[in-house]
Amino acid sequence: MVSGTTVRRAVYFRLGMVSASCFLAFLMVGCSRRIDASSLVTVEHTISPDPPRVGPTTVVLRVTDRDGKPVSGARIELEADMSHPGMPPVLEETKETTPGEYQAEIMFGMAGDWIVLLHVRLPGGQTLERQFNVSGVRPN
Amino acid sequence: MTPSSIPALDQSEPQPFDLMRVPGLGRLFHWRYARPLLQAPLLIVSVVMILHGLFGPSLAPKNLATTLSWLHFRGLLVLVLLCAGNFFCLACPFMLVRQMARRFFKPRFNWPRVLRNKWLSVGLLVLILFAYELFDLWSSPWWTAWLIIAYFLTVLVVDGFFKHASFCKFVCPIGQFNFVASMLSPLEVKVREPDICITCHTKDCIRGQREPATDLVVIRGCELALFQPRKVGNMDCTFCLDCVHACPHDNIGILSRMPGEELLSDPLRSGIGYFSHRKDLAALVIVFTFGALLNAFGMVSPVYAVESWLGRVLHVSQEAPVLGLIFTFFLILEPVVLLGLAAWVTRLWSGNQRALMPLMVRYTYGLAPLGFGMWLAHYGFHFLTGLYTLIPVTQSALANLGWPVLGAPRWTLTGLPSNIVQVIEIGFLLLGFAGSLVLIHTLAHEDVPDRPLRAFVPWAAVSAVLWVASMWLMFQPMEMRAMLMSG
Repeated sequence: MVSGTTVRRAVYFRLGMVSASCFLAFLMVGCSRRIDASSLVTVEHTISPDPPRVGPTTVVLRVTDRDGKPVSGARIELEADMSHPGMPPVLEETKETTPGEYQAEIMFGMAGDWIVLLHVRLPGGQTLERQFNVSGVRPN
Repeated sequence: MTPSSIPALDQSEPQPFDLMRVPGLGRLFHWRYARPLLQAPLLIVSVVMILHGLFGPSLAPKNLATTLSWLHFRGLLVLVLLCAGNFFCLACPFMLVRQMARRFFKPRFNWPRVLRNKWLSVGLLVLILFAYELFDLWSSPWWTAWLIIAYFLTVLVVDGFFKHASFCKFVCPIGQFNFVASMLSPLEVKVREPDICITCHTKDCIRGQREPATDLVVIRGCELALFQPRKVGNMDCTFCLDCVHACPHDNIGILSRMPGEELLSDPLRSGIGYFSHRKDLAALVIVFTFGALLNAFGMVSPVYAVESWLGRVLHVSQEAPVLGLIFTFFLILEPVVLLGLAAWVTRLWSGNQRALMPLMVRYTYGLAPLGFGMWLAHYGFHFLTGLYTLIPVTQSALANLGWPVLGAPRWTLTGLPSNIVQVIEIGFLLLGFAGSLVLIHTLAHEDVPDRPLRAFVPWAAVSAVLWVASMWLMFQPMEMRAMLMSG
């Protein structure tokens, strides 16, 4: 026959094991967060129409260096993804319209939340990634 | 019983199709380790999903956790339930981990008597549906990974403490979803020849096979308390095949039957009792059916107008209370009004002497096909329109690991065109509607044989309302937004 103390010990042991597993998993995940320290340039964006609607949308990017001077000659590719799986990304290359100002037209094919990724290659060859959210694209 | 005393099959009667008799497949299912063999790949996939969800890209369309969970798993699940049976529970990876853990920890307690029903799991199913909307689980690989981890931990805790398959029978929300949907599946784990069971004295299918010398169970019997000779239908059956392996007469198969057949009558069911006495099961079917509409409502444009309006009226900017109100309306208010009204009219018109609640419970089961049709249409839409997205996401995951063996991601691969998928969706909805009408008519005919239409019409009207609502939902522009209250 199993005594009450033995059963209690087994229960405490299992509770302890589960708690320890949770804590370890939490630590593993908590320690894995990465911080993008890239601060070579500043990228500002505007979109039109604003608020955004389903259909063609113009994205204008202004790229400046640390001193606030326009960065010319960069190559920027836009990648627009929906916030949920199952939709293909929309890929567009920007064109530099004036020094430091880049423009592209992307097609929001569905209403909802979009995330726009910027794949930037600076004139010096450095690459960096930026992203901004376009929340609440409305249906037409 | 010796094999020679087993009565010979009457070859003149048409025998149902038996999956266990299919060459190769039957041999596999008869193998004792068939279940772990099927579980192992899903466990590996689960681990990959967890790792990619936690450490992979934060964008849902590029992450295996979100893509596999919210597109492929859900879609495949409902399609397999429609075409075959509860085979996901058979291959459940959570149970493989549980089984491994039970080598070290033997559970000592019986599941509390007060919780031996579906109320807890109904609550958990609602909680998952609520969390899905509130935390936008579809858009968060991180939260999706944690949901899978939470599932594994819950299985280990529940089945670490409690004997038998307590988690499957009383806790698992996915399992309850599968149980309801599998009532409409064409396959059932079932006794082949009932006469053989009459003369069987060992009852190994429920007790398990024991080693005579030690009296230790060497082949497990049904952990969900389903005694095969008195088992009716797929409710609570995880297709685990324990009964198949335990039966010394090889008298249990995976047999074909008419989908929904088990809902046409109300016999005493082993491990369940009478459906008509089970308010908890009826509540599960209500959540299954009305939750199907609610879940689809959460992804179309009108939900944002409703949320904004509610937010303005209540002067609330937080999403949780507004979402709570919408859930209360869809899962409590709407069913109570619709089903209550139908029960009241049925009593009035048909002279049915049942009280309102038993009448509601009885006919609620008839709505299950409608709910299943909606889940099929919804999950089928995501699955089919995003069918091929698994390929570029896998290519991308491997490339990010520095192992681009599948080449560069082909992000243009998506799925079937939505106009084709929409036709399939309408087919699912029509199938569900027709199934509900047939079931309701059968119940009505049984209740009021001389005037069945008087009992049929009120419930058919409820089905029609829900079907029209489903069709309307499916033709709304889809809008997947994370911030519902943002205007």
